[in-house]
Amino acid sequence: MGDGIASTPPVDQTAADLTGLRRTDRSAGEPDLAPVEQLGAQAAHNESYFELVWRRFRRSKASIAGGLMVLMLIILAAFADFVTPYPLDKINLNAAFIPPQRVHFFDAQGRFHWRPFVYNLTNTMNMKTFEVYWTEDQSTLYEIGFFVRGPEYRLLGIIPCNVHLFGVSDGGTIYLLGTDKMGRDLWGKACEAGRISLSMSLFGAIISIAVGSVMGVVSGYYGGWVDTVLQRFVEFVNAFPQLPLWMALAALIPKTMDSFSVFILMSIIFAMLSWTTLAREVRGKVLALRQTDFILAAKEMGASDARIIFVHLYPNTLSHVIVILTLTIPTVILAESFLSFLGIGIQEPLISWGLLMRNAQDIHVLGNALWIFAPVGFIVVAVLGFNFLGDGLRDAADPYASM
Amino acid sequence: MLNYIVRRLIIAVFLLLGVGIVSFIVIQLPPGDFASNYKAYLVNQAGMPEEEAERAAQLVRQRYDLDKPVAVQFVLWIKGMLTEGKFGYSFSYRRDVGELIAERLPKTLFLAFLCHAISTLTGIGLGIFVAPRKYGFWDNVSAVVAFLFTSVPRFSIALVILYVLVFTFHQPSIVSFFSPQYVIAPWSWGRVVDMFKHIWPVLIIAGLGGMARNMRVMRGNLLDVLGAQFITAVRAKGLKESSVLLRHAVPNALHPIVAYQGTVLPYMIQGEMEAAIVLNLPTMGPLFYSSLVNQDIYIAGCFLLLYGALIVVGNLVADVSLAILDPRIRYS
Repeated sequence: MGDGIASTPPVDQTAADLTGLRRTDRSAGEPDLAPVEQLGAQAAHNESYFELVWRRFRRSKASIAGGLMVLMLIILAAFADFVTPYPLDKINLNAAFIPPQRVHFFDAQGRFHWRPFVYNLTNTMNMKTFEVYWTEDQSTLYEIGFFVRGPEYRLLGIIPCNVHLFGVSDGGTIYLLGTDKMGRDLWGKACEAGRISLSMSLFGAIISIAVGSVMGVVSGYYGGWVDTVLQRFVEFVNAFPQLPLWMALAALIPKTMDSFSVFILMSIIFAMLSWTTLAREVRGKVLALRQTDFILAAKEMGASDARIIFVHLYPNTLSHVIVILTLTIPTVILAESFLSFLGIGIQEPLISWGLLMRNAQDIHVLGNALWIFAPVGFIVVAVLGFNFLGDGLRDAADPYASM
Repeated sequence: MLNYIVRRLIIAVFLLLGVGIVSFIVIQLPPGDFASNYKAYLVNQAGMPEEEAERAAQLVRQRYDLDKPVAVQFVLWIKGMLTEGKFGYSFSYRRDVGELIAERLPKTLFLAFLCHAISTLTGIGLGIFVAPRKYGFWDNVSAVVAFLFTSVPRFSIALVILYVLVFTFHQPSIVSFFSPQYVIAPWSWGRVVDMFKHIWPVLIIAGLGGMARNMRVMRGNLLDVLGAQFITAVRAKGLKESSVLLRHAVPNALHPIVAYQGTVLPYMIQGEMEAAIVLNLPTMGPLFYSSLVNQDIYIAGCFLLLYGALIVVGNLVADVSLAILDPRIRYS
């Protein structure tokens, strides 16, 4: 036992002691002791910060679920062409406003099929009211195949490919969430819309993180009048009504501008008002850290301000930054979807979850084609996922605190 | 106390000035001024010859001081609003923006405050209910529901309610405050009931999210207080659990929720806005939205300023009432 402790390197004494003790306790029961060097190597392995965070994060089921939700949406968005059986940009006006098709296991005769299948939908119109009724044509059933060949596309925009996750044989259709005004498969469109919705919110959040970090570090590290001015500025920005200002600024973007600029401008607009929380948190953290011994030591050794900030201070606030990043994303997703829903956010040909629901603004469309509303499910999953993830990360970010 | 209030007031005035500057920038940002829009309108829509339209535009420029430098314009704009109630001219409504505001602001304020009051009271109540049941069944249910309410986009809740109202209940006249027979009737009990029949969607949409937030904050505060030592002392004295909770714990947990109201108010106003836009109620939200779409820039600027003013005043009220409640803040 004594050997174990003696052989640990002097660095990080406390943690090494702990692990060393535990390891040697176990081996002490064995008749022949392991070589001293080996023990030392074992004892020297301390859990790193990220291992500790992971261990704590893993304990919360909600945050794991949140992470999985986010991951799933990212995968769906990235492989949108693969997970839908139809080309994303295909317009088929004959297939406009088809309701979602049900996936069956039992056919009309009540026989069970191992392979799920769909019936085609046919429409009949009531000639008096011009109401359209959709009924299942139960004469032929179309079995759903997995990894079937279909229209050509480029996987991730690079690899030419024609395999789709699922599909039905020729003559059958499969619209899991129905189709929109243009006859486009809503499931595929909703997956694709995730690309813009997620990347824009991430991009906006990253900009706001960058601004907030700079403001927070400068404010906390230099203090004095710089701090006072910056804090008043933060208060000023906080006094702004977020949504109305976002709407006003987004409406100012000219409609003729190209998609990429709109994307960038929208992200910047969202970032402009959401950096204040982070600036406050980083400032508080930096203020606390500034007084600690290791910063003093670095100063005494003649480290420059830049070195102290980038090597010693900022990395220590990073855990908080990541937490705020995950919690900023959902607010941007919600705001973006509302703006796009109103038609003053993202414009076609770009597509986002809010924009997909734009047709639902028309009460006739909403009444006749309720499934237009389906992308809201994606929004809820995304917002919930990021919120759960952020909550779990916040608890895990400080693994040294007692539970 | 007075010193503290005066200090907050001065800060609020400066904040309002800042909000005014930004609103003014929003008015100024689009290319071309109000008069050139007016001229384009006269030429294209009314078929007026170019020179005459230009003369009319000049008249408008003089009347609204658009020929002066930007800084002067800003001062005049602020002065016009404060002293004469002159907010600018709305294109699409052909009226002074002040009239439109006078028409819609009271309704907006009424809705926002009603939402606020309801969500605060129910939120605090629910917080008190779930805090002693930490990690129990009701606590978990309320946590999940709170997460859901804050995650579902509010415009989509509004759409769902709209759908149900129109296609399930076939309720007529959803986009107003009253049924036709009550619109010009004097206030009566029936009229109030009728009004609530029309505005409950907004109350729900804007209120639920706020309620969820208030509940979580109240729960957290109360849990902190319940862990404090004086609660142990009070329990040791043998007081009933209900009086421990209501007499000793709750009053001490109320302070942060008052401070939090400054944060909840913008959330509430935005919720009212989202719901009102989708339901097209005659409040400020829909008018603000349509002014943005039509580039009716004076409405947009004035409303932005008003929303900002609402939030600044709300924060001020929260600060002052906190100071009244908590002497530690008053004397710091």
